[in-house]
Amino acid sequence: MQGPERLQGPGRLQGLTPPRPTNRFGLPDLGVGLGLRTVHYAHILSEHPDVDWFEVLSDNYMHTAGRPLEYLDAVAERYPVVMHGVGLSIGSSDPLDRAYLAELRALRDRVGARWVSDHLCWTGVAGVSTHDLLPLPYTEEALAHLVDRVRAVQDFLGAPLALENPSTYAEFSGAAMREWEFLGRLALEADCAILLDVNNVYVSAYNHGFDPYEYLAHVPFDRVVQLHVAGHTHHGTHIIDSHIGPVVDEVWRLLGLAHRRAQASVLLEWDAEIPSFRETHAEARRAERFMRSGTRDAEVT
Amino acid sequence: MKDLASSQAWFVRAITTAEREELPEGADEANARLTPGPRMSPLERLQIYRGAYHRRLVECLADDFPALRHALGVAAFESLCRDYVARHPSRSPSLNAYGATMPSFCRNEAPGPFPLRSFAAELAALEWAIVEVIHAPAAPPLSLDRLQNVPPERWDEARLTPTAALRILRFDHPVNAYFQAFLNGDAGAPPEGAPSSVVVYRGGPTVWRMDLSDAMRAVLEALAGGEPLAAALQRAAEHLDALDEGDAARRVTAWFREWVSSGFFTDIRLEHGPTR
Repeated sequence: MQGPERLQGPGRLQGLTPPRPTNRFGLPDLGVGLGLRTVHYAHILSEHPDVDWFEVLSDNYMHTAGRPLEYLDAVAERYPVVMHGVGLSIGSSDPLDRAYLAELRALRDRVGARWVSDHLCWTGVAGVSTHDLLPLPYTEEALAHLVDRVRAVQDFLGAPLALENPSTYAEFSGAAMREWEFLGRLALEADCAILLDVNNVYVSAYNHGFDPYEYLAHVPFDRVVQLHVAGHTHHGTHIIDSHIGPVVDEVWRLLGLAHRRAQASVLLEWDAEIPSFRETHAEARRAERFMRSGTRDAEVT
Repeated sequence: MKDLASSQAWFVRAITTAEREELPEGADEANARLTPGPRMSPLERLQIYRGAYHRRLVECLADDFPALRHALGVAAFESLCRDYVARHPSRSPSLNAYGATMPSFCRNEAPGPFPLRSFAAELAALEWAIVEVIHAPAAPPLSLDRLQNVPPERWDEARLTPTAALRILRFDHPVNAYFQAFLNGDAGAPPEGAPSSVVVYRGGPTVWRMDLSDAMRAVLEALAGGEPLAAALQRAAEHLDALDEGDAARRVTAWFREWVSSGFFTDIRLEHGPTR
């Protein structure tokens, strides 16, 4: 292409800024979002703050026909929404819960969620739900089980499912691989997306004694569609993924590295001792500084 | 899937075991099935999940029953909740309905001497009604136009459809008064017994509670239960026999107007054929 045409359209900046990678699912980079929390409903619906998008906890809007859905409808009318669940139990040895999937799909269609995510975990067995993100044994048997189930869920939803690496506090004996290999192979073999939580990488690295940068080095970033950051609680012997408080600098650095390699929307989770909307939003906007830098040694201020 | 299923069954058995009890398969099983971490033994790592499981469900119940927690005191409430968790593990991916059986648990299952059993069961019932009303679908309230479209000669046989977000409760204690005092921050000792009734309903995002006299409750229960209007309104008579007929009719009409304008009903229907 010659002449003025080269200067028109998005390509005009070619050479001035590095091209952004593209995720293989074509899902958009929505910018920096916030987790939708009940304590912020009133502010959001009255002030209409300038937020790129909201992530909603799917399970809070399922098994209800009332007020939570009314709030969610009002938010979804004005903002892009992504759904994030904790109840799919994709790794359980129980059969897939078809009623849960049907309700999940109906909610997705109702609010026009851009995509649906859950966790690389299981939450219960024999019909009992622990409502926790329990660790999987990283074995070939578990991997094959999850590949089949992720494919089935994606067929049911008619869309890619994004799975998030969880924070874990225990590991099963007899593992055949580390978590990053399990996640990467699952994403490849089931053809699913990844929600990479860099705080969870940091927490699990401390709890299990691995290098978080080694984890990131093995993530297939063309499958990463979303990034999470959050605060955590350090207990000395271990770290709990509490989603309390501001994000620590080392996690921001991991975010910068991950964002440089992925075309992914970024989201701050803050789930306990939640401050005002403005303070929460300001913490989320800190992400932009690290998204621009994206180096391991990025200056932290 | 044999090993996966076995590992998961063991893990759930271990973490759902009450914290005051021994692990069903002992610490050796944890040490065999889990790896040590850099700073923690396998058993210590398992206990993180075990503690979180019980704490999460107790916190869920505390969110749904704040007045019951206040009435019993934090320690007694948490002990009650831990008994509840042991007896009623969650069997749903959602926690929205986890506390549904707390009123009957208080009344019939809670172990040991429980001097506040009856009051606790009633207070739990009120708090659970609030949760149910929050999650019940809202529907447009019955409009004045629709009411006026009922032919006058068929008014007596018309029946009302209550909104799904409405609960009528009858107690042996002044439960709503205690709950209001709790909200106001001045709830004292649990009250002595005294009959009371309340209706809980939702108007938009707000949940309301309205005390009912015996006559009001009798009429409202009949209307919400689908009795024809004439028969339902007549139920007030046995409670208002001290009034002359005109005063009683005026009073019932005033209640009816307030309930309609508060959105208690969504439709009015006739046995044979629609309203005009």
